Amino acid sequence: MTKDNLLQSSSSSVARGPRGADGLIDNLLSLLSSSNGTSYCEARYHSRLMTEVNFINGDMQRVRVVENAGCGIRVLVEGCWGFSSTSNIEPGALRESLAEATSSARVLAQVKKNKVKGLADSRMARGEFRLKANGNLSEVDIEQKIKITKEAEQAARKHSKLIKTASATYRELLDYKAIVNSDGGEVEIHDSKPEFSVVAVAGKTSQTATAHEGVGITGGWNDLFASKSHLDYGVEAAKRAEKLFAARHAKGEKTTIILDPGMVGLLSHEAIGHTVEADFVLSGSIVKDRIGEKVGSELVTLVDSGNSDNAENAAGTIMVDDEAVIAERTVIIENGILRSFLHSRESAMIFGVPSTGNARAFQYNDEPLIRMRNTFFEKGSDTLDEMIKETSHGYLVKGARNGQADANGEFMFGAEEAFLIENGEIKELLRGASISGNAFEVLQSIDMVGNRFKYDIGTGYCGKYQPAKVDGGGPHLRCTAVIGGLQ
Amino acid sequence: MQDLLRHAIRDAESQGAHDAEVFASISSESEVFIENNDIKQAKSQQLGSMGIRVLVNASLGFYSTNILTRDSVRTAATMAVKMARASPKDRFNSLPRKRKVHFLRGIYDKAAESFGSSDAAAAAADMLEAAKSYDSRVTVDSGNFTAARGTQFLASSNGIELREKLSTFSWTIMGMAIQNGDVSSFDFQSGATHFAKKIAVQKTAAEFAEAVTSSLGPRKVDSFRGEMLLTPSAADELVEEVISHSINSDAVQRRSSRFAGKIGKKVSTELLTAEDDATNTEGLGASSFDREGVPHRRNIVIEKGVLKKFLYNTYTAKKQGVSTTGNSGGSTSSPPSVSTTNFIVSPGKSSFHSLISEMKRGIIISRFSGNVNPVNGDFSGVVKGGKLVEKGSVLYPVKDVMVAGNVFEALKNLNGVSKERKVIFDSILPYMRFGNVSFTVG
Repeated sequence: MTKDNLLQSSSSSVARGPRGADGLIDNLLSLLSSSNGTSYCEARYHSRLMTEVNFINGDMQRVRVVENAGCGIRVLVEGCWGFSSTSNIEPGALRESLAEATSSARVLAQVKKNKVKGLADSRMARGEFRLKANGNLSEVDIEQKIKITKEAEQAARKHSKLIKTASATYRELLDYKAIVNSDGGEVEIHDSKPEFSVVAVAGKTSQTATAHEGVGITGGWNDLFASKSHLDYGVEAAKRAEKLFAARHAKGEKTTIILDPGMVGLLSHEAIGHTVEADFVLSGSIVKDRIGEKVGSELVTLVDSGNSDNAENAAGTIMVDDEAVIAERTVIIENGILRSFLHSRESAMIFGVPSTGNARAFQYNDEPLIRMRNTFFEKGSDTLDEMIKETSHGYLVKGARNGQADANGEFMFGAEEAFLIENGEIKELLRGASISGNAFEVLQSIDMVGNRFKYDIGTGYCGKYQPAKVDGGGPHLRCTAVIGGLQ
Repeated sequence: MQDLLRHAIRDAESQGAHDAEVFASISSESEVFIENNDIKQAKSQQLGSMGIRVLVNASLGFYSTNILTRDSVRTAATMAVKMARASPKDRFNSLPRKRKVHFLRGIYDKAAESFGSSDAAAAAADMLEAAKSYDSRVTVDSGNFTAARGTQFLASSNGIELREKLSTFSWTIMGMAIQNGDVSSFDFQSGATHFAKKIAVQKTAAEFAEAVTSSLGPRKVDSFRGEMLLTPSAADELVEEVISHSINSDAVQRRSSRFAGKIGKKVSTELLTAEDDATNTEGLGASSFDREGVPHRRNIVIEKGVLKKFLYNTYTAKKQGVSTTGNSGGSTSSPPSVSTTNFIVSPGKSSFHSLISEMKRGIIISRFSGNVNPVNGDFSGVVKGGKLVEKGSVLYPVKDVMVAGNVFEALKNLNGVSKERKVIFDSILPYMRFGNVSFTVG
């Protein structure tokens, strides 16, 4: 990969390089050359500037800028990983950190049974990568970030007397990374990920209803507010909280469920995505040994991609992972057939495939782990109207909330709104509920796939030892699952 | 380091800050990871960071950096003052006055200084071995062992200058049991202590192995209403989260706590007594002073079912016209929040076994996977590692059971608290039994 392949950024610099870090790449490369006795060595400098503003009920609850920068050094010695990090990037401190990583790897060699066999040959990235951003966040003043957050919170709270609590949060991550490794990876990455969200709580003391409205993307200031203004987020959250407050709870039953793109994103990520992470597969996930088998309805094609496929600005876009591997579009399930797991170079070696570019680290002092990026279902041919019309009894569920999944494919996640469908028509809005089932039974049950695509879980972070900015989505999907509520 | 703190305060004042506070932390951590039934990786890190909070005419600015040089600290102080000038004025913003701090014993182990990566690797290996040798069906998906030691520093323009050393050892283990294609529910167990000689990885491994193997071969049951017996871990996920949110003065002032206006009222059956106590050195949340330098103390929040007090930091206390309870929390990377330190539920009179033998029909829940809304108390989710109890006997593990209800309603049906308790990082919790809970099976 050369600089010619790079996506263009609308501004000259998305995230700045480190203060006084000229010649950083050269320093890191010279460090690699001193990594005697290691079979692999990687040095990853990561500088992150995080800005956050939060207003609750008219008060500024939080304002902060957090600078976190340093170098993570990872080595493979006698088939064992050692990882050490330091915020001091002077050559001497880097060498000390390398020595620490090397000696802890040696210690492990005495207790570890299954040694790392090696790292799969993969498409190493070289050059400079800038993730597309319209409107450089670092050029937008802190006053402006405070102002829009304050106004959006106010718009939600002032919308109606029923809104008891409102909050609005603006957050941005501006990243600069320089990654080099002993297998030829040599890359600089500039990334920009802003997010904005409003929460409105309706109701009196004993009964309340909560609604969320937000957006999280890879991109710039103008991308963040391209489809809706900051005030729209406030008003929409308030309107929904008001409606939910007046709604009844859903009844528990197993029935036909139409998932909105956000819920489809959660299904992709939580229910299936985690079971195909190769580290999870090696621990005995339900899809172990099932590559090539039918695991879902043939209407199902599921993808995890480091690029923003099908729609712009997906929050999990990385282009290059933290092992300096090009972050490929990975087809996990193709027309119902399981095709691929998600890999780092270590797991890819075990499975005899190239890495899919899923090794990610949240900050400099985190080691790369197998993580998802943008996980989604490909769209089909049905309109949402047709899907509702052809449902005699069921629910349309919207608004992805928390989700969790187990190794056996059982999942549970929350939806903010559930619309009861009777005889092909939407009858009534019900309060959010949990949706659960076995991921692969649900996949098998998918019988209609919508024709409009959207990413919609970009405000969320995935947690697996470390947070990771991910996204997910797809079209509307019709399936069978359990909706839970009060009995 | 203390010099750097003083410089930061002077820099902020010279930029125009009326008040300035610096919280800093220097630590050294050694961690070993377990993955897929084997030792995975060793990790060591030297961490150092500081957070500068400044007030300009009662407007707040906050900047945190992990680059601890004079230049970087000067930039941080300058930026913090710039942010404060852009922030709205809030008359409740202030820094606490200097108070006398009584330093706790029992939160720093000198042995931590010589506890290196080889010791951490040995402890992780012990834990893994104990889980695997407990039962061959056990699969350890992941786990870790972490040894950390460090010093926290606090200085402010009100003359506070404090520092304290802390050491912690903590470990986790998670995974499942697999037998002939039957995969058990996922389980997670943990342990933590301030002292090297109290490390008990084998005990934790055995608890984990017992939990996953005993949930193999689950059966379906019909939907019913009955009793719910939560293990300490499940109580942590369900009850602790809701109560600690509701006793937080910040939530009370934001009108998002169901306990607002209920001081002196009954919020539970009289079996519940709960406190927040950073001076209890069993919990990992122990330390001598809070995030603003206010001495820590024991605060009883619920006594025999009656709500006694909320937890405050300097900001929320000033807003309410009361004194801080020493519950300012947070790291160097955020301005102070209000938080619990160690959340402790007092032991009951019953044994765990008698809690079971008194049950007519119900489910023991060791893990809950779902949503808990700390504002209104609604919860719904899937029961993990659930076991059916009938007429006082544990019958078999159950599957596909969803449980839903409301924590505040459940507290009015709390009908059993065990004398056995477990330390879960910064919570110390017993087994808790609730009547009249709805279990749904799909």
